[in-house]
Amino acid sequence: MARCGTARWAVLGVVLVALACGNDDATANRAAGTFHSRRPGVLTVATAQVPAVGFWEGTAAAPTGGFEWSLAQAMAKRFGLARVEVVEVPFEDLISGRLGGADLALSQLTPSAQREARLDFSEPYLPAKPAVLVRAGHHVSDMATAREQRWSVRRHSTLEQFLRDKVRPKRPVETVEVRQDSIDALMRGEVDAVLLDFPVAAAIASTSAGRLKVAGQFPSEDNLAVALPDKSPNKEPVDSAVRSFTTDGTLRRLADRWLRVNVTGGLAEDIPLIAIPS
Amino acid sequence: MDLLKLNEPSGDAFVFLVLFAVVVGGPLVVEKLKVPGIIGLFLGGLLIGPHGLGFIGSGNTTVFSLGKLGLLYLMFVAGLELDLGLVKRHRRSVVVFSVLSFALPMVAGTVAGRALDFDTSAAILLGALLASHTLIVYPTIKGFRLGSDPAVATGIGATVITDTLALIILAVVVGSTEASATGLEIAVQTGLGLLIVAGFSFLLLPRIARFFLARFGSSRTHRYVFALVALLAAATVAQVVDIEGIIGAFFAGLALNRLVPNEGDLMHRIDFFGAAVFIPVFIVSVGLVLDPSVMTEPETLRMAGIFVLACLGGKAIAAALTKPLLGFSWSQVGVLFSLTAAQAAATLAVADVGKQHGLFGNGVFNAVLGLILVSLVVASVVASLAGRRVPVPPEPASSAYGRRVLLVGSQDCEFRVTVAALAVRLAASDGGVVLPLIVARDGDAMPDLHEIEGLERRLGSAGVDLPVTVHADDDALAAVRHSVVSLSASSVVVDDPVGEWSRSMAPGDGLGRVPMLIVSQVSGRTRRVVARPDKVAPSMPVADLARRVAPARAPVVVDDGAPGITTGATDLVVSAVGADVQPDGATSTVVTVV
Repeated sequence: MARCGTARWAVLGVVLVALACGNDDATANRAAGTFHSRRPGVLTVATAQVPAVGFWEGTAAAPTGGFEWSLAQAMAKRFGLARVEVVEVPFEDLISGRLGGADLALSQLTPSAQREARLDFSEPYLPAKPAVLVRAGHHVSDMATAREQRWSVRRHSTLEQFLRDKVRPKRPVETVEVRQDSIDALMRGEVDAVLLDFPVAAAIASTSAGRLKVAGQFPSEDNLAVALPDKSPNKEPVDSAVRSFTTDGTLRRLADRWLRVNVTGGLAEDIPLIAIPS
Repeated sequence: MDLLKLNEPSGDAFVFLVLFAVVVGGPLVVEKLKVPGIIGLFLGGLLIGPHGLGFIGSGNTTVFSLGKLGLLYLMFVAGLELDLGLVKRHRRSVVVFSVLSFALPMVAGTVAGRALDFDTSAAILLGALLASHTLIVYPTIKGFRLGSDPAVATGIGATVITDTLALIILAVVVGSTEASATGLEIAVQTGLGLLIVAGFSFLLLPRIARFFLARFGSSRTHRYVFALVALLAAATVAQVVDIEGIIGAFFAGLALNRLVPNEGDLMHRIDFFGAAVFIPVFIVSVGLVLDPSVMTEPETLRMAGIFVLACLGGKAIAAALTKPLLGFSWSQVGVLFSLTAAQAAATLAVADVGKQHGLFGNGVFNAVLGLILVSLVVASVVASLAGRRVPVPPEPASSAYGRRVLLVGSQDCEFRVTVAALAVRLAASDGGVVLPLIVARDGDAMPDLHEIEGLERRLGSAGVDLPVTVHADDDALAAVRHSVVSLSASSVVVDDPVGEWSRSMAPGDGLGRVPMLIVSQVSGRTRRVVARPDKVAPSMPVADLARRVAPARAPVVVDDGAPGITTGATDLVVSAVGADVQPDGATSTVVTVV
């Protein structure tokens, strides 16, 4: 009889816990860190390029969708901020730590030791192995073939460094300021392959009406992360937000919707891995 | 021209090298400073991680995946090793102390969380985290021979309840992070999910395990891999119904507890791989995310101080209250406190899950790691001081006959599977093990390695997973006597197909306090057990042994000589040596107790 009584109290206690937790306002949780925006009620997000296929759609003044736009909105909601404003900041400025007055930057940025000297990066929100974007019908599935290609890559990006250090193409590499220039050159046949982060390459390929495809990807621990000003007090709440979105499936849903690939695993399905000889 | 081209160490081989170098080296270094080895794993992870030497980056998914497997394994082992028999035997004190040991730190932690402006979910999770504990100092207490002290038994038994409650609270709180759910929906969804996980773990899994071990359990490798499959299956079922996988893993451990004796070979293998690989990798993976810049921040240190006060204060008050409520001495209170103060497995698991769900930030997580470090040191010190002040308890009056059952093979060096199964049931009654023994007499051929392996495979299918010992002696009874002493056997089961032992033994020929069960005749199926106690020596535990060896659902009847009880073809008769057995059918099982 005593045991039944104890069990009843235990069940009641658990129900009370559930009821208490159900009424929580997640924006008020100091345990996960408190976000301090520069402007009250506004999350100001910097990005290098709008539109950026799959990541930012519409214009900077009036975004209409995209993975990073949706992520910004999810973060604003979690932080209790009423709206998101977007500022376009040149890529060079972003990686130099100048966010143009924004709270954070969402611009398909990959952390690196050099960048971490000037910026703080959050927990990663997408894995980003370097991937090879080519015209349909073209194949690059091993390193020897990769070295023979005419490459294009964004200047001063981690991918440029990767291309020169690991791939070591035999032909001169075309570097561009703006990523779209690489894509245009690829479409015109001026280059054979463009090195991009996998989610970016996948998004571009999926909206190219079959003209472009991701031929392969290289092994790497690279990922995309939110960039914050150096020593930002907002790193903790942004980290908590990214972890929460990873665990509750928000990131997976956003990737399915805007990038149309499964990018939350370590290796994207069906895309061959190009081994790097030691 | 370079004659030797050197590359910077990198790649999977290097990552695993530094990882396992820390696993082996970290504890060795810190233990020299009398600090628990687990601290060495944390610090080693810090050293090789992104905030240290950077050998393993934050983007490395392999190590973190292995760490997640290690966490599941840790919770599985926690459930597997808990002594559920202790909970039963000391029910009242376990329940009273569990309530205190859970409620006080839970309330203190929740209040502390709210005072620190945590939201309700995070505050409650903090409370649950502080209310759990891990029996890290139990080996120290056992070293003082206090394993059967009532306070120690109470502390161990309470672990089952406090950790289970903490994990249930975790399930509820994590369920509440679903933005669209109301409190009632959370309660219903979580309740259903827990029911499904519990149903799978406690109803289905043991049946599958018994079937598998009986059919394929002859191979030790199969038995071990099955244990892995069981834990991962339960974790997967939990994840499918939106419950944290660690709860499934813990329930799986609890469910298989009776099938995996703590002293058996399977448990040793589970412990071995856990201690060597899985669990240290998990702890190192936690150390990888340790951030010294965050740990040394004033706010983190302040939080850690508050957590230590709430946790250790709550546990200390709970232990102290056992003095008036349960009559324990102050030394026993100290031992109880040391057993329940240490925060490690469940605390880490809950904190990690809280962090992954965005309920805890880096500051809180690092503060919890600080709490773990302090609690381990405090618990170790108090255990050493209090343990030596508690008098060693006398041996309990009722003997645990099933603790270590010596199974003696027949004269032709064989074991009948049904006799082995009887020995396994006897051992299972006390969560013990079966120790198979072959006595090779002079003139008999000694079984070779191949034959012994064959014997072990057949015994494995009956649930015996310890290796066969071979003892050469012309005097079989003397050999058994020697083995009882050398193997600390609590009882002996002799496979006696030709009746050699049962014909030659007389009252008084036995092994003193260690009962010997001689199994001569064996039937295919037992539907009932009949115990015939010795009227001349009523202290012989015939009825007790009969209950222990009875198959599941077979009723036990004590035949004290009253008319009306006759034995039949499907009866297992347990009687004292010299008693009149007289089975009515040629196929009954006869067990003679000496």
